[in-house]
Amino acid sequence: MGGSASRLPREALGEYQELTFLTKQEILLAYKRFSELLPEEEKENARSVRIPKSRILTLPELRANPFQHRICRVFSTSEDGDDSMSFEDFLDMLSVFSDSATSEIKSHYAFRIFDFDDDGTLDKKDLENLVNCLTGQSEESRLNSAEMEQLIQNILEESDIDKDGTINLSEFQHVISRSPDFASSFKIVL
Amino acid sequence: MSYHYNEAFENPDYHFSETLEIDRGRNSQKNRFSHQNPYDSSPNGSYREHSGRGQNYPPDIPMASMRHDSEYSQSLPRVAVLSRSPYGNCQDNLSFEPEPELAYSPPSTFHPLDRPYTRRLSGASEVSFIQRRNRRSADEIFVPSCSLSKTDQVYKEEAKLIGNLVSMSARERIKAIQKMPETMKKKREIRNKVRKEITKKSGSRRSQFDCCTQCLHRMAVSYRRFRNSLSEYFHQLQLWHKTLKIIGGKFGTGVLSYFVFLKWLLTFNIFSFLINFSFIAIPQFVAAEPNNLSFTGLELITGAGYFQETILYYGFYTNATISKTENGASYNMQLAYIFTVGIYFVICLFSLVFSMTKSFRRNFINPQAYSGNASKLLCTWDFNITNEKAVKLKQKNLSTQIKEALFEVNQEVLNFSLKERVVHIVIHLASWVASLGTAVVACAGVYFLSVNNLELFMKERKNDLESQAAMLVLPIVASLLNAFIPFFYSWLGLLEKFQNPRHQIYVTITRNIILKISIVGILCYYWLNIVAASESQCWETLVGQDIYRLVLVDFIFCLLGCFFGEFVRRIIGTTVYVSLGVPEFDIARNVLDLIYAQTLTWIGIFFSPLLPGIQMISFSIVFYVKKVSLMMNCQPPRKVWRAAQMTTFFIFLLFFPSLVGVLSVIAVTVWRLKPSKECGPFRGLSSMYAAISEWIETLKNYPGSEWVVWIYQNLFQSELFFFILSTLLLIITYLYWQIIEGRKTMVKLLRKQIINEGKDKMFLLEKLRALQMAKQNLSAPRRQDQKRSSASYHSSMQPAQHMPNYLERTFDRNQNASYDEFSYSPEILEGIGLPLDAETSRPSSRTGVSEALALALRARREAEREDEDDDKDFRP
Repeated sequence: MGGSASRLPREALGEYQELTFLTKQEILLAYKRFSELLPEEEKENARSVRIPKSRILTLPELRANPFQHRICRVFSTSEDGDDSMSFEDFLDMLSVFSDSATSEIKSHYAFRIFDFDDDGTLDKKDLENLVNCLTGQSEESRLNSAEMEQLIQNILEESDIDKDGTINLSEFQHVISRSPDFASSFKIVL
Repeated sequence: MSYHYNEAFENPDYHFSETLEIDRGRNSQKNRFSHQNPYDSSPNGSYREHSGRGQNYPPDIPMASMRHDSEYSQSLPRVAVLSRSPYGNCQDNLSFEPEPELAYSPPSTFHPLDRPYTRRLSGASEVSFIQRRNRRSADEIFVPSCSLSKTDQVYKEEAKLIGNLVSMSARERIKAIQKMPETMKKKREIRNKVRKEITKKSGSRRSQFDCCTQCLHRMAVSYRRFRNSLSEYFHQLQLWHKTLKIIGGKFGTGVLSYFVFLKWLLTFNIFSFLINFSFIAIPQFVAAEPNNLSFTGLELITGAGYFQETILYYGFYTNATISKTENGASYNMQLAYIFTVGIYFVICLFSLVFSMTKSFRRNFINPQAYSGNASKLLCTWDFNITNEKAVKLKQKNLSTQIKEALFEVNQEVLNFSLKERVVHIVIHLASWVASLGTAVVACAGVYFLSVNNLELFMKERKNDLESQAAMLVLPIVASLLNAFIPFFYSWLGLLEKFQNPRHQIYVTITRNIILKISIVGILCYYWLNIVAASESQCWETLVGQDIYRLVLVDFIFCLLGCFFGEFVRRIIGTTVYVSLGVPEFDIARNVLDLIYAQTLTWIGIFFSPLLPGIQMISFSIVFYVKKVSLMMNCQPPRKVWRAAQMTTFFIFLLFFPSLVGVLSVIAVTVWRLKPSKECGPFRGLSSMYAAISEWIETLKNYPGSEWVVWIYQNLFQSELFFFILSTLLLIITYLYWQIIEGRKTMVKLLRKQIINEGKDKMFLLEKLRALQMAKQNLSAPRRQDQKRSSASYHSSMQPAQHMPNYLERTFDRNQNASYDEFSYSPEILEGIGLPLDAETSRPSSRTGVSEALALALRARREAEREDEDDDKDFRP
């Protein structure tokens, strides 16, 4: 609980406010939480270091989330693909999950989170992964393959407007736009 | 010219084909760049490099291709004349910005319109998305050949974007940048570029700025700063932020919505308490008479006795004009009372209407198209939930729900026989009769009890304990009815065996509302028709006391409900009957209780101005008690609660029977009823409204206030005005209704069109695949060298049969990014004869165009035929 953790410079704060949907308090809180994840000696330059994925996932907000790996993958800008997060990535994430983010941007990132193989469309494989994340991996809650097949068929029937067997971004956003609960449930607050 | 350019912009197809040509044209020109620029280098870095080169070697400028105007300037030299000098283009290149207003487009098309902008934005985002993705999944096949065209594409998009951002106002620009689905780094780059542009522009125009605009600018900046700090301050005031987060984390959005609703009502009450206290109660303190009744403590529950002579009730307020000093400013209590209450209700009405319409607009955009299977899955995860156990539970619930839903889909074909159907209808009818009957019986009971109570009170006219205890019977009975009849209703709901669990919820809610509203309605009838006509000393105070007791007993019952309904129930559920399990938090019932309490408070405001203060305290206690009870005793609801829609529904309920009913009760009180002769601010008047008429009469004597009199006479008192107003409203409503109908048809048509286009696409793809196969077999001997090169990457990176798959996907994305990925395999496109390159000397290109056209036409015909078939299928 060292109160001497480096402060966020004023101009950086203004810049973050301008570039994200977060308010000043939210950014400061994010900074505090982010530096708490760092070891003591790195607290000084919290804005330049990257936190490895394993440590990011210790955040209580992400720890139990079944999509935690996808969230890290989507928001990390790490060059070597280890899904580590810098402070700015962290802010990006919080901005998308914040209250004031528009539902458009939320659905855009939701699409990327659900797109498990990063190929730009939700195909059957992605949907299967998604359903598995939703129902959990344990034996009794998993769907058997027939159920899964039927479920995915139902989903595609309803949302795949151009009938190409996959859901693309605009189709996804179309589905989301009809479900008003999405914006309130796609939310992570620190 | 400029107009045409914009059209090209709007029409994606045109745009795409054009970019394809440009990209190809450039590929040959700048081969050496492609080797120097590895794809991975950040777009900005390479961009700068390009521009640097552009400065040194004008002939090689890639910039020319980045500017959209360049192709026009090449083909139509007159465009260049439009800008200031023929060399203007080259020099301007340094500022990679199209400067839309100057030469190429009417600013109106760029500036305020959001739609084209967002579309472009999404285009750009798609590009970067694909880029990122490619970097990740190492789809390196395409990299060498398409990197250049792609990065160029990115620059073009970016230049466009920056151009648009520059032409926006500061606020819009910040909003637009925030909305970009980009990483922070990228956003910062864009912002910095935009800033540079702006300073450059303003630098050249600085001479035009005079002192006045600077002053305005400064004022705007300071205003923005002031507003920011104000909003920060309000943000700190946010109540219970952390508590709400914990509740959301453990119980999800559904339960959270109850607490948010509670908080919202609480702010309503705080606001009305502050208004009433400062405009009615404080002046009354000044003119207060001594209170010579004794305080025993029981008054806290009954609200009678000592409180009768306090500012809690209507009867205590004076009808005099309060003035502290002689000839000083005076305060007319009558007007203050009527205007405070009136203005408060007007504010309530507007804020409710606004929040209701807002939430309707957001949540019921397209209710009939909502069938929910896909959206249930795609948007079902509640990212608020952070508790590990809650996550496990939620997953389990979701899994059972999905299984149930699948089972239901399979069961749906099962038809009921006529006899079963009749039995069902009879059961439904019987339970409706039973529930309405209970409501009627409950109302009758309340009515006779209250009349009886009043008679007792009038006869004995004493303030001892006995009569005070008798006063408590009515509220206790009312609360008992409110607490226990809902159990009967939910039992009825179980008995009815609804097919759809949602129907059960809605029917139960409807019955509960009918019960509560009719109890409140019968009480209102009793107050307005019987108490007001009785010869009691001060009937308004009597009504105020009644409401006070109702509110208080309701609060106590709410606490008891928490204790017995949740705590004791949990103990029983975990120890005695384990099969019962831990109780769930019943959101609907709890919200209805809140609406009931708020309705009572609203009715009571007129008769007991400080009632909102009491309700404020009770709501905050309820918040904590419910929170603790929830955390200790309850488990998250098993069913997915459609929070947004239900919240809208509850706000609507708060508006429609509740606030509208209260407004009519208040209106009757103010316009029709005769206020009591010996107490209250309106004593001696024929009706409360007469206070205003009298005030207007006195105003007539003052010069300078004729406008008030005029407004009163011509607007408030004239039937003609209201007639015109309501006619206008009806006309506008009808117009909007028609517009909505038109839009509905439009939506249907568009949907059909999308489906048709999808079919077109599928058809074309199949043709493409077939032709591709045919061409490959045919041209195998002729183009062996080319074949080899293409085959090498096919085999190295992807199995050949994946190719069509890939194509399919790229076709799906309606963004240019996917289209320019095609440039990597020219021979495939050629193979099917798409108009890849109009300028090439290949003889096949002409035939290619016509072939593609023919294909498209055939596809359309096919799709239409299929569509007709579909229609036939639907028709019996």
